[in-house]
Amino acid sequence: MRPVLLAFTEIRRAKLRFGLLAGAVGLLVFLILFQQAVLGSLITSFVGAIREQSAEVLVFGAEARTNIAGSIVLPDQQRAVAAVDGVGALAPLGEGTFTLVAAGEDTDASIFGFQPGGPGEPTNVVEGRLPGGPGEAVASAEDRDAGFGIGETVTTAAGGVPLTIVGLTERSRYSAAPTLWVTFATYEDLRRAVNPDASAVLPSLLAVDPAPGTTPEALAAAIEARVDGVEARTRSQAAAQARGVAQVNQSFMVIIWLVRLVVLLVIGFFFVILTVQKQPSLTLLRAVGAPTGYLVGALGAQIAVVLGLGLILGVLVTAGALAGASAGLPLTISPGEVAFNAALVMVLGLAGSIVAVLRVARIDPVDAVQRPSLGGLA
Amino acid sequence: MKLAVRELVRKPGRFAVAGTALVVLTMLMLFLGGLLDGLYLGSTGVLRSQSAELLVFSSDARSSLVRSRISPEVRAEVAATPGVAAVSGLGVALVGGTVPGEQDVADIAVVGYEEPTDGIPAPPPSGEGWADRSLERSGVEPGDVLGLGPARVPVRVAGWVEDANYLQQGGLWVEPGTWREVLASARPDSTLAEGTFQALAVTVDPGADPEAVASAIDDATGGATGTLTRQAAVLSLPGIKEQNSTFASIIGVTAFVAGLVIALFFSLLTLERTGMYAVLKAIGASTRQIFTGVVVQAVAVAVISFVFGAVVVHLVSPVLVSALPFQLLPSRTATTLVLLVITAVIGSAVSLRRVVRIDPASAIG
Repeated sequence: MRPVLLAFTEIRRAKLRFGLLAGAVGLLVFLILFQQAVLGSLITSFVGAIREQSAEVLVFGAEARTNIAGSIVLPDQQRAVAAVDGVGALAPLGEGTFTLVAAGEDTDASIFGFQPGGPGEPTNVVEGRLPGGPGEAVASAEDRDAGFGIGETVTTAAGGVPLTIVGLTERSRYSAAPTLWVTFATYEDLRRAVNPDASAVLPSLLAVDPAPGTTPEALAAAIEARVDGVEARTRSQAAAQARGVAQVNQSFMVIIWLVRLVVLLVIGFFFVILTVQKQPSLTLLRAVGAPTGYLVGALGAQIAVVLGLGLILGVLVTAGALAGASAGLPLTISPGEVAFNAALVMVLGLAGSIVAVLRVARIDPVDAVQRPSLGGLA
Repeated sequence: MKLAVRELVRKPGRFAVAGTALVVLTMLMLFLGGLLDGLYLGSTGVLRSQSAELLVFSSDARSSLVRSRISPEVRAEVAATPGVAAVSGLGVALVGGTVPGEQDVADIAVVGYEEPTDGIPAPPPSGEGWADRSLERSGVEPGDVLGLGPARVPVRVAGWVEDANYLQQGGLWVEPGTWREVLASARPDSTLAEGTFQALAVTVDPGADPEAVASAIDDATGGATGTLTRQAAVLSLPGIKEQNSTFASIIGVTAFVAGLVIALFFSLLTLERTGMYAVLKAIGASTRQIFTGVVVQAVAVAVISFVFGAVVVHLVSPVLVSALPFQLLPSRTATTLVLLVITAVIGSAVSLRRVVRIDPASAIG
């Protein structure tokens, strides 16, 4: 009998045992993939707007600690930043959360106000065009079915200012909410409509592009060195340092690695116990001529089957969960991430089985004649 | 049962593998639970610390404090609604604040309020504030003068309050004038006129039904307000419901995996001991006695693993607290233990079928 056949015969006769293990591995794979999907989608939903805008450097009010929602840049600071050597272009960028009425429903939405033609424009417009004038907006394509499709009109719940959607962006949401981009003038109108007591509408950020010959990093450093009370970040730094992004990353990575550790332990302990239980039979097989490679091959086949079934189950459960989950944001995971995690689970599963493989490899056929249970003499 | 306990004491190594997996699963559940509690408590303290039963927002604010505006006229309508005993104004400003002797700016939620609540004393004099104790981690001490917002509005810390944060920013509770000044300087576009608040905390008459009073308030204001019970207002904060359900399901799946690990381990162990159990049955032991032994071992392994896992999490929690919104409550630790014990009992029950099927006659051949 070939090692694979031996392995399959045993699995067929102990369906519950192997089924439980494959089920456990499947659920662990699901936990890893689902959390990877939540992590990726959360980050994109949190800071997609920062990544997908054209300014290479963003300037925050220092007390906001690179949190857009808490940032304003004062008029003096705007003038001081404009005067820094190496600034090529500069434009105000406003951000605020508004209650919008879309498709008859009240919805929280984040609205960015940018200067057309200046730094800070949305870069990932996949359909339609950028807003050209007052009352026009581009919206996140992820929310098109929630009343943000091209040609639809949404209004602010307070003040009733209408906005017509003229374009759609992808992966450009902010703060896990529908995200709209309007001209800065429209943004000012919205702010004043929502709060008639507003004394001024200041930009949340300054969107800055470096002059030719200046790198974004050098420009950010120069702005921080010359202007008091502001923090300047390159686009990628601003996305990585946005409020909560580092904590979300750390938390999820701790969870995902703990689950990976459990995969290693569960696979490892199952096959070690199984090997210890089968030790007399395996010893007998060795004594009647089965080479070590044959037994290790059978064990390897069983590990592969369990891991394979676990991975298939995990991917299927993840696909179902992602389709039906209501985490408040569109959850997706790329095939690359699935493949990476599947490969890592395989490696961890195989690493966990090393102890069992070594035990099988160390079986001494002579034991067969020394064990009373096998008819030998103690 | 004695036999089961003796085996555990004499051969603990036999249970080490399953125990180690359960220690890691315990750590995972406690870490997830601590993170969930930290996120929930750190975001909702301002609303939970209200003693009033109802919170009134403007209807276009979708229960968001920072977007809500209640004018003095609407407040008068609310106060005149039958069933309303008392009304007080509430508002927050999310700002950065300088701390004396510290390089980093602290994230502060400046809370303007009019009346004392559970755990929050009466508003301090103008220019002073009660700080949430979590701000201690940012170097804040009583007596410090913090500089709030870009205008560095000075506010002296009068003393500590507990569990009074908002959206992960340290609560600093001040009288309405100070809050209005900070709000106007930090967000000129959110400036509110004298007498206008973001929300109202409404205490209902003794014996009145809060839900009915809430509807009456919204009717009285002609739909200008959206009135929620305190708990509903907490749950309507952005992301709170989704956060709770996502974490709860991940914790549930983790507990299920722990159950599978226990089921797997004890079914293997039972298989290994089929001969021994047959002998025990042959000399008079009942299925119930043998199965009780299996359950006792499963529960003991789960409890001991839990203790190890909980100790590790408690030891590393100071590090976690400094980097993450992590807060491990005694109630979370207790519910995780109960969950694990239940899981252990259910998991070990998988072996019952095998124990029942053991034939005492097989002991003699």
